[in-house]
Amino acid sequence: MSKISDTIKGIFSIHPDTLAAKRAKRPVDGNWVPVVCWHDCGGRCALKALVADGQVVRLKGDDTHPDSPDYPQQRACVRGRSQRMQVCAPDRLKYPMRRKHWEPGGGDKSLRGKDEWVRISWDEALDMVVSELKRVKENFGNESIYCRGGEIKRTINLFGGCVDSWMTDSYGSWMGTGKRIGLYHKKTGSKFETFTSIGDRMDMRNSELVVMWGANPAWSSPGSPTWHFLQVKKAGARFIFIDPFYSSSAALLGDDWYPVRPGTDHALILSIMHTLLMEDDPEKNPLIDWDFLNRCTVGFDAGHMPEGVEPSENFKDYILGLKDGKPKSAEWASEICGISVDRIKQLAREIGGTKKVALLTSWAPARINNADSWPQAFMTLGCMAGHLGQSGRMTGTSSHVGAGNGGRPLVFAGGNGLVEIPNPVGAAANYQGGRPDGGISIPGNQLWSAILNGEYTEGKDKTRKVDIRMMVHSGETNMLASREGQKKGIEAVRNLEFMVCNAMFLHTTAQYSDLVLPVTSQWERDGLLQDDGNREAVFMGSKAIEPLFESKDDIWIAREIGARLGLDTNLIESATLPQQIYNSASGAMVITEDGKDYEPLLTITEEDIQNLGAVGKTQTGRIPFKEFKEKGIYQVKRSPNDNYGFIPLEDFRKDPEKFPITTKSGKLEIHCQDLAEFVNGCGWSEIKPTAEYIRPIEGFEASFSDWETKTKGEFPLQFYSIHYLRRAGTTYNNVEWLREAWPQDFFINTLDAEERGIRHGDTIKAFSRHGAVIRRAHVTNRIRPGVTCMGGGAWPEWDEKHAVDKAGNANVLTGDITTGQGTSGWNSCLVEVGKYHKQLLPDHLWPSRTLFKSKRHE
Amino acid sequence: MSKKRQLGFYLDSGACIGCKACQTACKDKNDLPVGVNWRKVVEFTGGSWKQEKKNLVPENVFAYYLTVSCQHCENPPCLPVCPTSAITKDDDGIVHIDPNKCMGCQYCSWACPYGAPQFGKKGEPMSKCDMCADLRTIDQNPACVDACPVRALDWGDMDDLREKYGNVVAVAPLPDGAYTNPSMIITPHRKTNLPGYFAKLPESDPKGKDVIGPNTVKYQKL
Repeated sequence: MSKISDTIKGIFSIHPDTLAAKRAKRPVDGNWVPVVCWHDCGGRCALKALVADGQVVRLKGDDTHPDSPDYPQQRACVRGRSQRMQVCAPDRLKYPMRRKHWEPGGGDKSLRGKDEWVRISWDEALDMVVSELKRVKENFGNESIYCRGGEIKRTINLFGGCVDSWMTDSYGSWMGTGKRIGLYHKKTGSKFETFTSIGDRMDMRNSELVVMWGANPAWSSPGSPTWHFLQVKKAGARFIFIDPFYSSSAALLGDDWYPVRPGTDHALILSIMHTLLMEDDPEKNPLIDWDFLNRCTVGFDAGHMPEGVEPSENFKDYILGLKDGKPKSAEWASEICGISVDRIKQLAREIGGTKKVALLTSWAPARINNADSWPQAFMTLGCMAGHLGQSGRMTGTSSHVGAGNGGRPLVFAGGNGLVEIPNPVGAAANYQGGRPDGGISIPGNQLWSAILNGEYTEGKDKTRKVDIRMMVHSGETNMLASREGQKKGIEAVRNLEFMVCNAMFLHTTAQYSDLVLPVTSQWERDGLLQDDGNREAVFMGSKAIEPLFESKDDIWIAREIGARLGLDTNLIESATLPQQIYNSASGAMVITEDGKDYEPLLTITEEDIQNLGAVGKTQTGRIPFKEFKEKGIYQVKRSPNDNYGFIPLEDFRKDPEKFPITTKSGKLEIHCQDLAEFVNGCGWSEIKPTAEYIRPIEGFEASFSDWETKTKGEFPLQFYSIHYLRRAGTTYNNVEWLREAWPQDFFINTLDAEERGIRHGDTIKAFSRHGAVIRRAHVTNRIRPGVTCMGGGAWPEWDEKHAVDKAGNANVLTGDITTGQGTSGWNSCLVEVGKYHKQLLPDHLWPSRTLFKSKRHE
Repeated sequence: MSKKRQLGFYLDSGACIGCKACQTACKDKNDLPVGVNWRKVVEFTGGSWKQEKKNLVPENVFAYYLTVSCQHCENPPCLPVCPTSAITKDDDGIVHIDPNKCMGCQYCSWACPYGAPQFGKKGEPMSKCDMCADLRTIDQNPACVDACPVRALDWGDMDDLREKYGNVVAVAPLPDGAYTNPSMIITPHRKTNLPGYFAKLPESDPKGKDVIGPNTVKYQKL
């Protein structure tokens, strides 16, 4: 046959087994199983999977009740909608695998991350973990084993414990600062920590002005929050965005935009407060709520200082420049933050001059080096303007589970009933600032250097030796991609003798391990009640498919390793999964209609308990367990003026003496000795008890070799990491539909691009003093000139010869810098950008990291 | 003779945040591979920066999004160019491609100003949105409509949609509605009339010599 006829046949004959033919055979309706979208994005949304012949055919969203703004369906975002492509991805890990050149002691460690993989049996894999645990313990002690969490930690704790680490995670400096100054408070009289300081979504509709400071819920909190904000907008509120990026949320809601430089928020807010002080006139132009300041706060002026503190330490004198000769005026701040003097004053007048303002910030501005006093500065502005404790007036964070909707949970799950197994060596979880009982807990930003140098900072003038020889990673932890200083991280793990990782995919931490154990997803087993999304709903997923290939549940792995170590496996899995489900169901509570108390959520019958295979008592609740399990969700029905609203600090504002908050003074602390002592005790850098500005390391000012003459330095552009819809943390990075929808582009302003001869779509190299990435340039005027950004969490693909990461992991550019309370500094970083000589293959054409092909995916 | 029914979509571009949940729900519902998108989201952005005293300040910087599928046009330009008459308009006004007649020549995708008909790979027929015909037969909404987290999408009879939402059928960067008479009503974003530009990322040549891809993952053959 000639070549031409071959071509014609190729083009014009349609194969019988085409996608179209397959599509036509797909069922439309049938067996819908509620499944969870379980990742750490801050939301929880309802999904159902259509299961046919043991496969998930497609998903649908929340159809458990009609949709309305007050009682909305819990609709999943682009990531949740792509989850079939994650759970059933061709690159799901199928078998236990060992790095080919690993041997006890490590073998050729430099091959980590690029060695060949060898499929091994589960017996071989488990024996390998056990012999390494024993070898390291015998030779070096439990202090040489590192594990941060997951089921396997129960086994290791029982085996004598391990070293742990802590970090400020997504909270940034809100983690240590918020509670000390009084903004993350426990609601008086409540059984629950609210950890929010903003009102609920219904009350937010009463605000006249909403200030979104560094907050882009459309990208950072997908799911319902943006929908809630739209209702606030429809109710008449004006929205101001303060952000280096003209975000999708600003495009949706914004009436005004202040393109502040990253890491200079603190300078801007000080100048807003200075303007308020300059222009306030209690009679003719009241901008400051002196009554609130005087009654509810300490430290603002010399007349309202905490007991035993020098009056000269007051905050007002600092703002006015009476201490250092530098008033924190709009003129002072303008050249730092990049907002003009007139505009700063305009912003101040609007915040001070509007009656009902919601001052909202995400955690992002607090994720810089030297951010420790930023939350306090933010709170102080709220206090000056009096935007706290009344309807439509709130000051605080709108992030993660609390995005756009504050308050205690209206419905929550019971505990799983697992017996806690203490860690004799390290801390159980985040013990920020060192563990009080002397256990080993390494600050996250020093983890890599602790492995490399054998010591870490444990407090002021205190270092501690540590000798980590092996790391055990469980759950979905992918810390080698998510921590600052990625390059140093690789160097550190290549120094270990053994690293094992439970994983669903060959993400970065798995890639650099010696042994990878394939684990099941939450679609492959029944699940517990989950209440870690918004305050109005609880979810429960059911098993949709059988475990894929040879993957096992994390708890099975923990138990099997425990058995081989001769440990009590009944303690490791102290409650079976069915029993945990029963526990979480029977303990689930829902708010009573009067909003004053809680009542059991579920009616559980003898039959339910038998079906579960659990032991327990029957009980009466609001809805039958069976109905809940079928729907997969229970959501509290809301309406305006219902009894479930929340106005934080309401009682406190009325009578701060009768309803004190949990700070040392019982008031909001504009002067906070407790905070200064805590931060200064951490051992890195020092702060004052009031919110004084400190230049961030690798902030805007540091982009100049000479600030006075404004001479730019080697790394003249600012860089920060954004939440990007491609991923939740580092999760979902491999999902091909998301790679296509949200390519990992490098955002740069038109002027900066032109200056460097870069055009939209060109391949660029961005480099900092910590590392270099190559990516496709997304040239846009939506980002402020002088500022660049990229989504956080990509899985690095190192070109070791040219020392560049081709996948664009933001932490290749960031450094493992420690300041203040050990805050993660993802948003303070300096780079230079140049055109790269080669073209980059688009993300969606990159082959998946499929190690062993299977018929299932052909 | 009564006028034939015409179904269509509605988009509130003022509410759309460009998140692509609709695009992805569509891919999931219709099992579409990478490269085949029956629904696509475009970003339209513009504005500039100017020096004002010491500061660079934004001037008319804006962005909005449009999610676009097959417009099920009243005058579909894809229909007359099809050499095998595989494209038809049904009683509901929905434009269909018959996979058994289509030979995958791509003429329709060249004719369509919205890029609606999608070419997958050699040997596959063209495919595109049929407004979830199968879901509509069981009284359910098209998958994209129910997926939208900001409730920016709706669908229905065009007469009803016009009554409810007006008669705007085209905003930048979409083509003039007079060309094909598209069946989509749009509530324009508040910044729709600002001057701007539309930029499309150039397609990389996957076969080019200088193209960099990921590292090859190695494994020992079983």
